[in-house]
Amino acid sequence: MKAYETYLLDRAKVEGNHQLATYRKLGGYKGLEKVLKGGLTPAQVVDEMKKSGLRGRGGAGFSTGMKWSFMPDIAKDPRTRYLAINADESEPGTCKDRVLMEKDPHGLVEGSLIAAYAIRASAVYIYVRGEYRLPHDRVLAAVQEARAANLVGKNILGSDFSCEVYLHKGAGAYICGEETGLMESLEGKRGHPRQKPPFPAQSGLWNSPTTVNNVETVFNAPFIIERGSAWHAAIGTQNSKGNFLVGISGHVNRPGVYELPFGVTAQEILEEKAGGVWKGRKLKAWFPVGSSCSLLKGSDIDVVLDHDSLRARGSSLGTAAMVMMDDHTSMARVMEVIARFYEHESCGQCSQCREGTQWLSQIFHRIAHGHGQEDDVATLEALAKGMAPGKTICALSDAAAIPTLSAVKLFKDELIECIRQKRDPLAQPAPKYATVGAH
Amino acid sequence: MVKITVNGRVVDADPTKPLIRACHDNDVDVPMYCYHPGLSPVGSCRICQVEVKQGDTPGRVMVACRTQPVEGMIVDTESPKAHATRRECLEFLLKNHPLDCPICDKAGECDLQDYTYDEGQAEGRSNEPRRPMEKRKSLGEVIVLDEERCILCSRCVRFFEEVPKKAQLTVSDLGSRSTISTFMDRPLSGNYQGNIADLCPVGALTLKKFRFQARVWNLVKMASTCVECSRGCSIQVEVLRGSDVKRFRPRANEKVNGHWMCDVGRFAFGHANAEGRLEGARILEGVTMLQFPIEDGLCAVRDALMATKGALFVLSPFCTNEEGQALLDLAKRHQGEIAFVAPGPNALKDDLLHTGDPCPNRRGLTELGIAGQAPGDLLKRIASAKIAIVAGERVVELLGTAAVKGLPGTVALYAFECHPVESRALRCEIGIANHVERAGTVVNVDGIRGPLAAVKPAPRGVRALGRHLEDLARLSPRKETASR
Amino acid sequence: MALPKKLTDEFDELVKNYPERRAALIVALHRCQEELGGWISPQTMEDLGAYFGLEPVEIFGVASFYPMFNLRPVGKHVVSVCHNISCDLRGAQDIIAKACEVTGAPLGGTSKDGRWTVRHVECQGACANAPMIDLDGVYHEDLTPEKVAKILGAVR
Repeated sequence: MKAYETYLLDRAKVEGNHQLATYRKLGGYKGLEKVLKGGLTPAQVVDEMKKSGLRGRGGAGFSTGMKWSFMPDIAKDPRTRYLAINADESEPGTCKDRVLMEKDPHGLVEGSLIAAYAIRASAVYIYVRGEYRLPHDRVLAAVQEARAANLVGKNILGSDFSCEVYLHKGAGAYICGEETGLMESLEGKRGHPRQKPPFPAQSGLWNSPTTVNNVETVFNAPFIIERGSAWHAAIGTQNSKGNFLVGISGHVNRPGVYELPFGVTAQEILEEKAGGVWKGRKLKAWFPVGSSCSLLKGSDIDVVLDHDSLRARGSSLGTAAMVMMDDHTSMARVMEVIARFYEHESCGQCSQCREGTQWLSQIFHRIAHGHGQEDDVATLEALAKGMAPGKTICALSDAAAIPTLSAVKLFKDELIECIRQKRDPLAQPAPKYATVGAH
Repeated sequence: MVKITVNGRVVDADPTKPLIRACHDNDVDVPMYCYHPGLSPVGSCRICQVEVKQGDTPGRVMVACRTQPVEGMIVDTESPKAHATRRECLEFLLKNHPLDCPICDKAGECDLQDYTYDEGQAEGRSNEPRRPMEKRKSLGEVIVLDEERCILCSRCVRFFEEVPKKAQLTVSDLGSRSTISTFMDRPLSGNYQGNIADLCPVGALTLKKFRFQARVWNLVKMASTCVECSRGCSIQVEVLRGSDVKRFRPRANEKVNGHWMCDVGRFAFGHANAEGRLEGARILEGVTMLQFPIEDGLCAVRDALMATKGALFVLSPFCTNEEGQALLDLAKRHQGEIAFVAPGPNALKDDLLHTGDPCPNRRGLTELGIAGQAPGDLLKRIASAKIAIVAGERVVELLGTAAVKGLPGTVALYAFECHPVESRALRCEIGIANHVERAGTVVNVDGIRGPLAAVKPAPRGVRALGRHLEDLARLSPRKETASR
Repeated sequence: MALPKKLTDEFDELVKNYPERRAALIVALHRCQEELGGWISPQTMEDLGAYFGLEPVEIFGVASFYPMFNLRPVGKHVVSVCHNISCDLRGAQDIIAKACEVTGAPLGGTSKDGRWTVRHVECQGACANAPMIDLDGVYHEDLTPEKVAKILGAVR
């Protein structure tokens, strides 16, 4: 791997950076100062963001500048507008935003303020998943410090810009990481995703124009403002700009969260960052980007990690969470775990998703436990096709269907073998423990 | 209004209402479970998939309940893609549905059954055990919930939130573990519980009073009007094999009751199905009431009216406009006085439908020029009259059964009633049809006319009051009275 | 019964963060669970309903949607073991087994002495440090069954 410039995790490595004094010493809040004291207009900030080529890091990979520009013209639509920060990180394999919140919370606050300024939001709600207690507390402390330093609240840094930052806690529902589910949850309701349109920019939180951005996305904003869009646009590949955080977990020697420029291959990350597959084994399969994407075979490890290259292999960049599986792994077991997850997390609104996720889970469970039936693989495929694409209110149904379809395609023989033998030849010995309630 | 094309036909659509509404308004069937015209759309069941084309983009299958009509939109509700998507959706909905149609009260009017039949989906692919849940969960006095049949459309939840505006149900838990529940299994309360049984697209919520009472295809159903208060909710009366009324159900009427009715009206079968009806005519002979043919009773009334001027005509507020007019004519002909019994408001009044006024045709009768009067005042007038004609369903009950019984013998009382009358003053009584046995018109509190339908035949020897009055007019021609 | 004043004072401040009061509900549920015995009792739901001007059934609908809210009493200590993919690949099942063995609680239940509840949870965002447990709100990562025994054994 070529040497490359880092910036996303640099401060995080410094002890005490979660406190304002250290953060400022390391150059913190320079981006916000440049915006507010340098007289940048919101439109100029949006423009910088567009030119930088930054794409959302929450999964969909949409242009951040474009998203901000979807907010209605303030002259024509004077409604209060909101920025919601999606810190409900819960895509399996994903643990990058947590690092930023724990180790560099002011970076998130600063990024949020710049985003809020660009979209003329008067309040930011940071929706932190309920289990992230330390990250929540760190960000909350950062907001309080920032408020005391006139970096949050009225007339920030003496400018006309006023903006409040509030923290909100989730409570363990994966679906609240979906932007409209998140908004429902922020409003104190069940986290049922909303039918789009209307899109959040037209009618989001409390029916007001709202932008929802991922933590890592806005975290990039201060760097881009400070160093310029051209600097950012020079890093990466044609349609994927800058550095990004990759989480790598599973069967590797050094799992972790690493900062990389777009354009490196998955193999480079696996070998040079994560120290290769553990126990000297071979890579059998991997989720390139969280569980809501197509599985890839070990041989696909040469893929370049960026939006276009992954799309070309039938996957997507998602949250850039690589989950690696060695050649001792049972794919029936992997899919049992994945399908169980989606069954557990379906909000239950849409028929296809509520019933389909359960159905997939039941079938994979049976296959993995030696009760597979001859038509199971065909049924899995038919069900997954009935659940996606775009047949439901949100994408959770798709998220369950996509890995299913890839497993059926790539590992059909292995699944059929489990069914034929009435046992999973690759099953790990199951430790015994008593259970109450549902599986 | 915008112009859209639905299945090749150009129709007008209200762009503020979902596309499914435009389809239904133009008699194009689009299946629905979670959508209901009286509730906010959620778009969760995903059954109302239709293919929509806008501009040059290729057709997309989308849910009609969460799509707004746009000028020039081309909609195909029967496209192969739309059908395929709906069929998939049905398969998922049937995954945990118990298919206990043979013992389900909803069978025959179940949307899940009907659409499954329409789509020709006869075989299931699921090898998994169905979700075992509670089959008979009481939700109070009115409703019983079968959790296994529930398809989680959430209509019932939204009903309480949006119509009586007090949440009583919720979808609890999430995903495949979701169920409909009250808080801590508390019984439902209020006067509008029955509506959720109508709303339920499957047999999950059923009326305790309708449980195992009838197969719906054996019910004769006709449009009528509820007579339990002056709201006059549009209803459908459903009668089993020409005998008992089994259900009153609301009929959609935006101007009157929307899609709803109250439980008081819904379960008011008491009067409709009551036994011990007054049949034919009974006339006082000496000291006993003896049974006579109707004609004899009518002659007795005529003779009394001809013999004594200034009879007092007391109507029931249940009298239809037509009956009111006929009685008004009769009273005029005999220079009598006329009024209808108008008891004061009861405690059932609410902000939604119930007016608290027990007089269903107060407005109609008033508009005819008949004044309403409190029972007490009317009783005094009757007591001091020489001859009084009381006419109409429940007239004695509304005057006060005991008070009528105690009327002095000095007044000659002639009654047209559904049930035998007890009174010292009674000279003659003639049986009449009740509100499910006769046709007519009533006018509600807001001046909106509603029909009464003869859904079932009156008992033998019982005719509608209107028929009696026609015959009476024939027996006592105008000339005869005018010549006096 | 009503919510303790300490909590309502807190909530009075909290609701100011939002244009609508009920938005504070989920955060309030967290606080109630923390302060009122580790679970959301029916009484708490009624009290929250009264506080927010909502029907208790609405509070119940929300509380039951979120896996973090316990609608039944739990043990004094709650051990949540992630069993999602990254943890499963690195031995989450052994962690569950060890946690159950050490505490005497069945998975999804509470030990007979009421001290421990052990349950499995979906991805906790600790994938790069799998397997993990969340013990009373604090993450313990990079675990082995031996480490689990030690961590749980040290809890008084």
